[in-house]
Amino acid sequence: MTDAESSAPPNSRDSRRTYELEDLGFNEVPKKWRKFYRHWTGPGDELAPNEILCPVCKVVIRSGREFRPGDKVYCMPCMSRMVVVEGPGGRLEAEVVF
Amino acid sequence: MADFLSQYSIQRWLEMCPQGYLEDTVYGRGAEEHEPEELLGDEDLLESEISTTVQLVVGERCALAASSGLINAAPDFPSKRFLATQTLDEARHVEVFTQRLYDLGVKKGDLESTVDRYANPNLVKFAEVLLEKVDDGDFIAGVVGQNIVLEGMAFSVFEMMEAGNRDPNPKFAHTLTGTIADERRHVGFGENRIGALIREHPEKKPEIEKMQQEMTFYMLATFADAFADAPPPPPDPERAAAEWHGTDLATATPEEMEAVLANTVLGEFKTRLGRIGLEYQTPVGVG
Repeated sequence: MTDAESSAPPNSRDSRRTYELEDLGFNEVPKKWRKFYRHWTGPGDELAPNEILCPVCKVVIRSGREFRPGDKVYCMPCMSRMVVVEGPGGRLEAEVVF
Repeated sequence: MADFLSQYSIQRWLEMCPQGYLEDTVYGRGAEEHEPEELLGDEDLLESEISTTVQLVVGERCALAASSGLINAAPDFPSKRFLATQTLDEARHVEVFTQRLYDLGVKKGDLESTVDRYANPNLVKFAEVLLEKVDDGDFIAGVVGQNIVLEGMAFSVFEMMEAGNRDPNPKFAHTLTGTIADERRHVGFGENRIGALIREHPEKKPEIEKMQQEMTFYMLATFADAFADAPPPPPDPERAAAEWHGTDLATATPEEMEAVLANTVLGEFKTRLGRIGLEYQTPVGVG
């Protein structure tokens, strides 16, 4: 379970689109966590609503449901904690929390 | 702070790294993987690859000296423990890239003379700027220099080389994949640990920004030298495209490769430094 799944208010849970996650071959974390990550293929890589790019280590973090601003996200490959914010143009981005 | 640092445990490192993505690897790649015959049989290409690999060895030797030197300068035990894992990562990188030199035909007895012959003087100066801070016991400057500037550069260099080698040289690409995974932890520690420390010690900013400026100067000079000496890509209609940040590395000229690498690394520097409260300084001539 990612932090994004555990930190959202319970009443917003049902209104979000959910996703079945599968292991996409990201082997840089222990097996049980692999489905929550995938490699980023560069600036042309289009992210799904349940995906966000870690700005520190450039790995795509995946959640079982779509992200919303305010969600807390944890990147296991670089061990950074982030919060989802709305960036320019309304695109969701992750902001590192020190 | 304690909560963030508790994640960088030896146990976590064991599970992710030696018991994870490095399991069953030999010198960071598959046991049966070899350098391609076309490379080993082309004298010019072979010399170019030896020269490139020497720069990786030089960079990793610097990273090994810096991360091990910073252990004693670290102000807390969780940071010392993380830097101990990073020290082993860097030692492994030195070993796998040295092994690649042997795989490319360098004799063990000729290792140091080969490193001396091909080491780029600007890369050596880049390392000296960082190691001076480490020798002074300056933890904040040392971690910025090591885990943000050096590792930030290595991260992009390795990514570019991995993309360019995926099709023609899977053995080397696999070696790089493991080092990239290691670098993710290193840049993560750098930003997370220093992001908090810079706020506590704003008086350190000018000195650290000056170090970044000098290191960037020597890094760009290294790139310019490396790509000036690089042979143009051999025409190969069979070779798959290797797109990296909008450039096809399979067909790009050395000038195009230098431009995409420098632009990517500098863009990353600006963003990473900005996140931890430092302002990127454009390099000027260093005397």
